[in-house]
Amino acid sequence: MSQFMLLLYDDPTTWAKVSPEDMQKAIEKYRAWTTKPFTRDSKRLADDPGRVIRSQGGRPRATDGPYSETKEVLGGYYTIEAANYDEAVKLALDHPHLEYGGTIEVRQLWGS
Amino acid sequence: MGVVTGSSGTEPLLEHLFRHQAGRMVARLTRLLGPAHVGLAEDTVQEAMVRALQTWPYQGVPQNAAGWLFRVAHNIAIDVVRRDRIFGEKTDHLIADLTRSSVVSPEDPGLDGQFRDDELRMIVMCCHPELSRDASVALSLKTIGGFSVREIARAFLAEEATIAQRLVRAKRQIRERHLTLDMPGGPDLTRRLDSVLDVIYLMFNEGYSAHEGESLIRQDLCLEALRLGRLVAASSIAAPRVHALVALMALQAARLPARVDEAGEVVLLDDQDRARWDQGLIGLGFHHFERSMVGEEVSAYHVQAAIAATHARATEPRSVDWPLILHLYDQLMAIEPTPVVALNRAVTVSKVRGPAEALALVEPLELDPTLDHYHLLLAVRGQLLLELARSAEAAACFRRALACACSEPERRFLQRRLAQCGAER
Repeated sequence: MSQFMLLLYDDPTTWAKVSPEDMQKAIEKYRAWTTKPFTRDSKRLADDPGRVIRSQGGRPRATDGPYSETKEVLGGYYTIEAANYDEAVKLALDHPHLEYGGTIEVRQLWGS
Repeated sequence: MGVVTGSSGTEPLLEHLFRHQAGRMVARLTRLLGPAHVGLAEDTVQEAMVRALQTWPYQGVPQNAAGWLFRVAHNIAIDVVRRDRIFGEKTDHLIADLTRSSVVSPEDPGLDGQFRDDELRMIVMCCHPELSRDASVALSLKTIGGFSVREIARAFLAEEATIAQRLVRAKRQIRERHLTLDMPGGPDLTRRLDSVLDVIYLMFNEGYSAHEGESLIRQDLCLEALRLGRLVAASSIAAPRVHALVALMALQAARLPARVDEAGEVVLLDDQDRARWDQGLIGLGFHHFERSMVGEEVSAYHVQAAIAATHARATEPRSVDWPLILHLYDQLMAIEPTPVVALNRAVTVSKVRGPAEALALVEPLELDPTLDHYHLLLAVRGQLLLELARSAEAAACFRRALACACSEPERRFLQRRLAQCGAER
């Protein structure tokens, strides 16, 4: 078994007008997926643009992260176990994030 | 490891937790921020729920989910008050109030009374006689009900933009007319309470009357009206007619599961499977019906509740006490002589004295402008003619009814009746 990261991107404005009832339903769906046996870890990233450190002319400089400009932000990640990319994608396909308009990037962890 | 272990478990969240907590939190925050800022309270609560949605899928659901939402909503409000400075010199005072309120857990049973008081004040303000009835219904559903604009629009079969506009206008009126969350008292109380009951019953009927649209959201509307009615009934402003309204709504809501069959077809009261009536709601209805009998007051709600109770008491359609129901309709006509009441009374007359006498009462109603193009009037008339074996005339009535605006299940119902007239040859 290899390990894969699912990077979940979403547009934070998606939920502005969703009803409390539907938000609760969405949480239940996400939760049902999260507790599946192949899930190893999951974390939410803080709600801010973050910082990016780049070296400019040999001097490292920190600036606001990429998410201050773009619509879709990296919101969180899961680590799952799967035999290969095909299986990892298959497992991610029924993630409710896709139903609610989000994007999932699937990456294998090196050497796993 | 985040969610896989810990408190998230597999236990589902309490049904309607978000919707109900949204209502409570909006009521609480509006009380703290002031009625002019009800929109800010709503936005704040929405934001708190979005944060739950963003974090809980990864980190798990906190043990005290309601308390978490409550605290986060308060913290967001504190940030906004501090950042936007819209409250001027009241800012520090307000932040202190919000901070004090944020540590309160909504699940503490000792504080239930406080939350009920917030909600009660909110519903009384939302139903202020200075607002239009439509606006009051929408505003109550949006603020204390925790319904979204889209859900309200779906329940009303209206455009989202129409409902959104109605809400904007209502909130502007709250600001401009300086409506407060103060509880009415003295001579004003009767008028204000009547307005609250009107709005609650309108909300209930909106959910109850049509067979069209998404049945779940309509049922939710009925149950929300019932919840609000019970909230008022349990409060210091309760009066016998409040209990009568709660009884009426509970006894009618009890029939909801039996009004549509598995194929989604309309089932009339006489044909309903009484085993499908909700016994819990019937019990609740009778409890409030008894409490409504205290004192001398006899409101239209009392009489309507008595009619619903008479139906609920009958174990089978044959044992319905129609003479008693007719007597009650006579009473209702004395209080509320509307054409719709007259039509319902005519149906009762047909049960007691036969279709010919009922038909004589229905025919003049067709001249009433408020019942023009009312499909139920034509359906009743058609039914009476059918019972009198005047099939050709009955068929004409059902055809005219089909030409009126009505829902799909009602249309199919009318078509089945029309086929009975043998007119489809």
